[in-house]
Amino acid sequence: MKEVIYKTENLSKSFSSGGIMQHVLKNIGMELYQGDFTVVMGASGAGKSTLLYALSGMDTPTLGKITFQGQDISSLSQDGLAMFRRRHCGFVFQQIYLIDTMSVMDNVLCAGLLANRDKRALARRAKELFHAVGISEETQRKFPTQISGGEAQRVGIVRALINSPEILFADEPTGALNSKTGLDVLDTLTKFHGQGQTVVMVTHDMRSARRGNRILYLKDGAILGECNLGQYVHGDVKRHGKLSAFLTEMGW
Amino acid sequence: MAKYIVLIRSNLRKAKGQTAAEFVLILLAAAMMNLWLMLSLDYRQNFDRCHQRLNAEHVAVCAADNSEGVREYISQILEEDSRTAEYYMDDVMWAQGSIPYNGGEAFTNFLMMDKQSACSRPIGKIEFVEESEFAKGVFLPMIFKTGELAVGKNVSFTVGNHTLSYQVCGFFNSAMAGSHNCGICEILLTKEAYQELEGKGYAQSSTLVSVRLLDKSGSEEFEAMLNHKIAEKYPNIPTTSNSYALVSQSRYISQMICSGVISAMACFVLLIILVVVASNIINYIQENMGNLGVWKAAGYQSRQLMGMLQLQFVSIAVVAAVVGMALSYAVFPGVNNMMVSQTGIPYKVHMQPELFLITLAVLCSAVAVTVWLPSRRIKKIPPIDALRQGVQAHSFQRNHIPLDRAKLPLNAALALKTTLSGMKYNVTICITMSMLSLIIVFSGLMLENMIMDMTPFLNLVAGETADACININAGAEKEFLEEMEKDSRVEKVYLYHTQKVGHIGGAELIVNICDDFSKVNNQEVVVRGRFPEFDNEVAVAIKYAREQGWELGDEIRLGIGGKETNYLITGFTQLSNNLGKDCLLTRAGYGRIGSLNDLSYYMDLSKGIEIEAFNKELSRKFGKKANQTQNIYEIIHGISVVYISLMTVIVVAILLLSALIIVFVIYLLVRAILNRKRKEYGILKSLGFTTAQLVVQTALSFMPAVVASTVVGLVGSCYIINPLTAIFLRDIGIVYCSFRVPVGFVAAAGLALIAFAFLAACLMSLRIRKIAPRSLLA
Repeated sequence: MKEVIYKTENLSKSFSSGGIMQHVLKNIGMELYQGDFTVVMGASGAGKSTLLYALSGMDTPTLGKITFQGQDISSLSQDGLAMFRRRHCGFVFQQIYLIDTMSVMDNVLCAGLLANRDKRALARRAKELFHAVGISEETQRKFPTQISGGEAQRVGIVRALINSPEILFADEPTGALNSKTGLDVLDTLTKFHGQGQTVVMVTHDMRSARRGNRILYLKDGAILGECNLGQYVHGDVKRHGKLSAFLTEMGW
Repeated sequence: MAKYIVLIRSNLRKAKGQTAAEFVLILLAAAMMNLWLMLSLDYRQNFDRCHQRLNAEHVAVCAADNSEGVREYISQILEEDSRTAEYYMDDVMWAQGSIPYNGGEAFTNFLMMDKQSACSRPIGKIEFVEESEFAKGVFLPMIFKTGELAVGKNVSFTVGNHTLSYQVCGFFNSAMAGSHNCGICEILLTKEAYQELEGKGYAQSSTLVSVRLLDKSGSEEFEAMLNHKIAEKYPNIPTTSNSYALVSQSRYISQMICSGVISAMACFVLLIILVVVASNIINYIQENMGNLGVWKAAGYQSRQLMGMLQLQFVSIAVVAAVVGMALSYAVFPGVNNMMVSQTGIPYKVHMQPELFLITLAVLCSAVAVTVWLPSRRIKKIPPIDALRQGVQAHSFQRNHIPLDRAKLPLNAALALKTTLSGMKYNVTICITMSMLSLIIVFSGLMLENMIMDMTPFLNLVAGETADACININAGAEKEFLEEMEKDSRVEKVYLYHTQKVGHIGGAELIVNICDDFSKVNNQEVVVRGRFPEFDNEVAVAIKYAREQGWELGDEIRLGIGGKETNYLITGFTQLSNNLGKDCLLTRAGYGRIGSLNDLSYYMDLSKGIEIEAFNKELSRKFGKKANQTQNIYEIIHGISVVYISLMTVIVVAILLLSALIIVFVIYLLVRAILNRKRKEYGILKSLGFTTAQLVVQTALSFMPAVVASTVVGLVGSCYIINPLTAIFLRDIGIVYCSFRVPVGFVAAAGLALIAFAFLAACLMSLRIRKIAPRSLLA
């Protein structure tokens, strides 16, 4: 029996634009499990990213409740949510969002030092993670504008993992990369998932989605269906067929 | 033009707060600049206008004799002198005395005249500001209308040893004899009161000689010549006199101080504006690189885009300057009210288009040049680079604060990174805080040496300070000193007598005579060299010495009434009593050219002794041997109130202005940083940084520049403040200032300034709370 890490009840999110309310998420009730690589798919405007940001405490729901390990986070203040993010969450963004004025190492430590004051232990972990994603010491000293997109996204993953978060959120992590570097990033995420990291990834790319073991399909702000692909095995052709069939069924 | 307006409106919509802050700063600069111009150009001319309107004299000499022989002699001198344009002689009664002034007293030479005679004078006319029909009473110069004296009230003033009481019938303007600090102060009496006073014999029947010159610039020399010639022929007839040069300056001391401070503040605010505008243009180009690219791609030329910026900023400057100048006209009556109790000449605020245009031209051209210089960068940006958001100017080759090795806490380290990446913000802060440090030190100096304890300022400008003074006949000196020796209430008594002496070939000088200058309370009078000790030594005013090119050890020739001799300069003094035209001689030294018929002795009394009662007792005891007594404490109080209230208002105003400037400058800087780092703040928030952490980080990022420039500014200001203050006071004869710098106050105020800057930065940075991490999605 998998442990529930996230639970949402009647999760709704609406935006007002030009006096017109847009209901982006509608009464979503779902659970996310410890150790899963959950992939959220759906067409553009389905509410994937809104769901991701609501779950991660980047945004607050309009209605409904989100509990993380039994704690209601939907009623937390902005500062409470900031604390929650630094302690429990890691983020990998499509646009990478490294801070240009900081070196690669500093980008990582800046997040790490928020939750961990032991600078030596932190630097050690950063180096381990850099080594794990293939970022050299020389690159660690560079600034984001001096490295490639693939390297930058791997740095983003290191930054997301520096505090050993319970959950790693990835919003279209390969969206801004070419296919080769995108593949590297996916391999990295898969590798960490293999080591027990819980991952929630939003994507509309089938190649990326194949890496997950659980696929949720979102349509018009509601979860239309889900599919369990099982543990990822490299080169598993049946996995692709299963995912294709699910997505066809969902109207993809 | 229409296309410019469309672009400008788009820019202004995006930067409403920044525009408002720039507007307020330009408004303040315009208000102060216009005030300064009004004070230094037009307000000062108010005296000349009054002088011209009243056909006032350029030299006035009052000789304590009204005989025909004296008058004929003086007429002959004036007729023969080619510098004389016209002259007139009047009957007056002359006596020294004191009158209530600003809660204290003013001691001066009263020339009492019959009102009707005064009204019919062709030279040195008077104009009534307030007049009543009371049958008997006095008309006073406007300077004494300070609240306690008003038409219908009674005024008591002393002449010699006698107290006179009259009903105040009105107030009048007199250019040359309308103040207590000009050597001559007219009081008009109704016919009945004048005749009554004449009968009492309290005052000396005298002749007032009013002379208009063909060239007013020679008034001091003419005064010295006339005094010298009268003394030469009639050595026993005392005279008192003044000149256009002395009066035109002494009535405007407060104006000089005020315009000096306002001019400094105007320059300071203007400098801040220029730095802020230049910084904003650089930020504008960085922030709007994409838009510039779009406009260039659409066909706009670089010069058109630069012209658009010129039009935008100069338009703001024009509107703000007009509003600021209107503000200066609104506050000017208040400034005028403060100063009229020192100038004594009412000033009518009126529109001055030429000053308006000067202020507008200076501000707008300064803004235009400041916009043009950094906006030239637009020329160098090809549209394609602009569309790609430009090329990063920073090479990021050095990481000054690596987080893995930094010893600082995370927020401090990140703040320091921001500090090091924003050097132009630091320059703005450094200029602002250095200037504000100077203001703080100046305020502390004024607080310590003027507002809280007037003594240092009085030592500088008022000469000798004591509790009481008595003027006795020379024959009664021995008896007086023996009495004082026995009197336990008297702590110290010393001769300190003031006379006039002529510098041969130069101006009339006030000479302070003392037996032993080591006894005087104010030992700071001599700023270089030493007091005179022997009969062939003199200490002269440094301002006059500089004008004459004298050095210590030079010999100068002084004389009275035909007796002349040489003196060796042993020291330079500075006093503002005679606006830098005075000297010190020992009694023996004075004895070489003149003799003292009466002597003024200064006295320090024990604590708690009632000075007024003590003076009355002395007057009673010595009867006719004592000519008059003075309550020096009250006289100093009367003079000091004007300066204390003026300086208090100035200090409060400049401190408030400084606070306002800090707020606006920090607002503009925070706004620029927030715009530049909006994305970065979003990223940091998504990583788990709270708003409070980012606010503190932003505020802390200003602190290295704030602290460094404040400390350097305060220390530097402590060293330069006295010379700077001396520059403000140079017109009243002050060359060196040795005010105590209140180190405790300066340190506390410096800390408060830093704390205020931090608090203001925190408050302005609260806008960070509006940056949502969700905005990264956009």
